[in-house]
Amino acid sequence: MSIEITWRPAENVNDVAPGRITLTGKGPFQIGRSSGSEVLLDNSQVSRKHATIKVEGDVVTLDDEGSQNGTLVRGQRISSLQWRPGVEVAVGPFVLTYRLVESQVPIEATRLPGQDPAARPTFPGRLFDQRQVPFKEIQSSGRMTQEIEYLAIGGGNGSFAWVDHLRIFGVDKKNIRVIGIADNKSPYSKYGRLCRNSQIPDHERIRSNSISTPDNLWGFPGYASRETVRDLARGQLVGLKYVFQVFGEPTVSETYTPRLIDVFQSLDREAKRINWDEMWLAGRVIAIRKTDDERYVIAYRASSESEANNNSPDRDRFIVARYLHIATGYPASNFLDDLQKFRREHPQSTAVVNCYEPHEEVYRTLEQKGGTVLIRGRGIVASRIIQRVYEARQKNPNIQILHLIRNPVTEGSKWDLSQREVYNDTEHQAFNWPKSCWGGTYLRELDAATPEERSKMMASWGGTTTAYRDDWLDIISTGKKEGWFKVFYGNVEGMSERGSRVVTRLQGKANYQESLELVADYIIDCTGLISKIDETPLIADIIKTYDVGRNRVTGKGAEARLAGINVSSSFEIPAMQNGRGHVFASGVVTFAGPHAAVDSFLGLQYAALRSVDHLARLRAPGVSKFGPLRSSYQWLKWCANASP
Amino acid sequence: MVPTLAGRWQTRILLYVFIGLPVTFLYAMYLTNWRWPPAIDLSAFTDPFVFITAILILGLILDVAYIQAQRFRWEGDWPFAFQFFFSIMEFFAVYVGMEYFGALDYFLPDGRIPFETAAWHFTFVFVPSFIAVLAIVQIFLVRWRYKGGELGRF
Repeated sequence: MSIEITWRPAENVNDVAPGRITLTGKGPFQIGRSSGSEVLLDNSQVSRKHATIKVEGDVVTLDDEGSQNGTLVRGQRISSLQWRPGVEVAVGPFVLTYRLVESQVPIEATRLPGQDPAARPTFPGRLFDQRQVPFKEIQSSGRMTQEIEYLAIGGGNGSFAWVDHLRIFGVDKKNIRVIGIADNKSPYSKYGRLCRNSQIPDHERIRSNSISTPDNLWGFPGYASRETVRDLARGQLVGLKYVFQVFGEPTVSETYTPRLIDVFQSLDREAKRINWDEMWLAGRVIAIRKTDDERYVIAYRASSESEANNNSPDRDRFIVARYLHIATGYPASNFLDDLQKFRREHPQSTAVVNCYEPHEEVYRTLEQKGGTVLIRGRGIVASRIIQRVYEARQKNPNIQILHLIRNPVTEGSKWDLSQREVYNDTEHQAFNWPKSCWGGTYLRELDAATPEERSKMMASWGGTTTAYRDDWLDIISTGKKEGWFKVFYGNVEGMSERGSRVVTRLQGKANYQESLELVADYIIDCTGLISKIDETPLIADIIKTYDVGRNRVTGKGAEARLAGINVSSSFEIPAMQNGRGHVFASGVVTFAGPHAAVDSFLGLQYAALRSVDHLARLRAPGVSKFGPLRSSYQWLKWCANASP
Repeated sequence: MVPTLAGRWQTRILLYVFIGLPVTFLYAMYLTNWRWPPAIDLSAFTDPFVFITAILILGLILDVAYIQAQRFRWEGDWPFAFQFFFSIMEFFAVYVGMEYFGALDYFLPDGRIPFETAAWHFTFVFVPSFIAVLAIVQIFLVRWRYKGGELGRF
C-alpha cells in the first residue's frame, strides 16, 4: 500500500506549481521547504520542516511540526490529524489531498498538466523519450541492469497464474522474474486486504467456484473435494455435502464456494513449490520501452529495506526482457462522488466509509451503542456488509439498516432464451458472470465477437449482481418483517452533518415530489472497485507511447466504465510486439476484451494458459507444448508437491 | 459443466473410445467365459458392443436437444446432476427401444439382451465415464474445461 499525495495552489493563489508524489512505506515523511522533504513545497509560507506524515496500515496520520503558519483543515489549525483520503489540508499556499494507491507505478515526481516540462523526473529521464531505446544506451547508462527471459509486472494473482503456467510448462525459475510492490511477497496480499476490509474474514466463503483453483492449473482436485476429504479424514461425514453441492449446483443445490483461508493456504503451498519467492523482485515499475534488439527495457525503482537508503540513486534500475506480462490490477477503490464531497467538507467525521477501507470500528461502535447504518450499493459486497451488520445486531438489537439503491429492479437481464432471477431488487447469479463465460458457449461467442457485439453481450451478462444464499435472503426478509431493514430508492441530492450523524437527502421522483431525508450514524459505500486502468500511470504511458487501443466502453450513466486495453485471443498486446519480443496482459487491464471474467481466479488462469500456449507456438525457450503426457506427469508432481 | 454442442459430441466419443469400448470388451469376454476366440456363440460377444454403440448414437442425437435446453438456463451451464440423470435415461431409452420396439433387431441375432446383463454393462461403463468427466479428463487435457468439452488446442 502506498499513498499518493497531490498538491495544488489554494484558491486565489497563482504563483505556485501543483505536484504529486507517491510515498511507500511507513514514513515518517516530511512536508516542508527544506530539500530533504519528501513532499517538497518550495514557498516562503511553508516552514522548513512543516509537518510529518506517518502511515500505519491504511491509517495515515498528519502531525504539524510547530510550523509558523500552521497546518489547516477547513480553516482550523490542527496539531495532529487522522488524515482520511480526499480530505483537504492547507499548508501555506498549497492544498494537499491524498489517496491510497494500489498501482504498480511510481508517481514519483510525475507532473500534472501545465507544469514545466524541464522538471522531468531524473529517472529514466530522456532515455525513455524514445519509442525504441538502443540497448547500448541502457548499458552505458551506468544503472544496474539485469537481463532476463520472462518478466511479470505486478506481484498479484495475475502474475502468479502466468508464472505458475510458465514453470509447469517447463521454464526454469532462473529465467523468470516478478516485480511487485515491496511489503509482502505473497501473491494474494492485495486481494486479501480487500477481502478483509470488505468484511470477508479468513473463514468466510468467497464468490468463487470449486474448480477455480489458482494453485492448480488443472482445476482438479477442486476446493470442494479437498474440503470433503479433509472432513472425512476427521471422521466428519457432513463433509460429503461439498461434493454433493458441486454435483447439484446451481439448480439442485446451492453453489459451492471455497473458504478464503483454504485458497490462501493452497496458494502458499504452490508458491513454495514453484519457487515464487526466488523469482520475486521488490520494486515499482516506472515505464516500459521497446529496445532495438527485439526486447523490452523496464525502468523500476527497487525497494529499499533501510529508510536511510530510501533516496539512493542505486535503487533506480533497468531490467531487459524478451517476454513481458502485465497484470497490475485495480488502480483504486471507488468512492461515490457525493460521499467524497461529504468527506472533503467534513474532514473530522468518521461516519462515511468505503467498504474496501478498514472500517472495523463501525461495527464495534454499533455493537456497543447501537445506531443506524445506511448502505449504498446492491452488489455482493453490500450483501456481505448487510450480513456483517446483522451479526452486530445479534449483539445489540438496537441497530437499524437503511438500504439505499438508485432504482427498483423487477426484471432481470435477458440473453437468448434465458433470464436472470431477481430477489430484493437485486439480480442474482452465482458469480459475477454467467458460468458459461468461463468455458462454454458464452466464452466462445465473446472471443469471436466484434467489439460492438462484445459490449452488448457484456452489458447483458454483467452488471451488479449478488449470489443466491439462503442466509442472505433470510436476513433481508426477516429484517423487512421486523422493521429494522428498510429499502429506499432514489438519487442523492445532498448530504449534511447533523450532530455526529449524517443526513442524506434524496431527490423526489417524478411521482413523489417531496424529497426524503435519511439520517444515519454511518454510511457504508458498497459500490465497488473502479477499473479506470489509465489511473495507473504505467498503463497510461504504454497507451500513449505505443498507441495501444482500448476496448469499448460498457455500461451507462454512473455505471459507465472505461474498458481495458486491446489484447488478442491469446492475451497479447499486438501494438507492443517488438519483433521476437511479446507483451501479454491479464486481469482488469484487459477488461471488455476476449474474456468477460478477467479479474476472476479462473479468468486469470485462462489468460495465462492462452498466453503460455502462444509462447509455445512461438517456440519461446523452455515452454513445452504441454500435451496429455506432460500434463498428467506435471499433475502427479503437483500431487506430490514436487518442484515442476 | 458448461458444454458446447461440439464439446458434448467430442467428449462422448472420447469416453466411448477410451472407456466404453475397453470396458465392453472385458464385459463381453466375461460373458463368453474368457475364451478367445469366442467360438461357440459369437453374438454373445458382439451384443454388448451393439448395445453400447446404440447408447452412443442416441446420446449424440439427444445432445442437440440438450444444447437447446441449455439456452433456457441463465448460467448457460449443465449441472452434473442433469448429466447423471439424463445418462441413465438414455440407457432406459435404448433398453426400452430394444425390448419393446425391436429397434436393434437388425444388429442383434437374438433380438434382445437380458435386462440384468444390460444394466450391469451400462453401470460398468457409466460410472468410470462419469468420474472421468468430473475429475480425470482435465488432468490429461488441460484445455478441455475451457473449451466446453472440445478436444485439442486453442
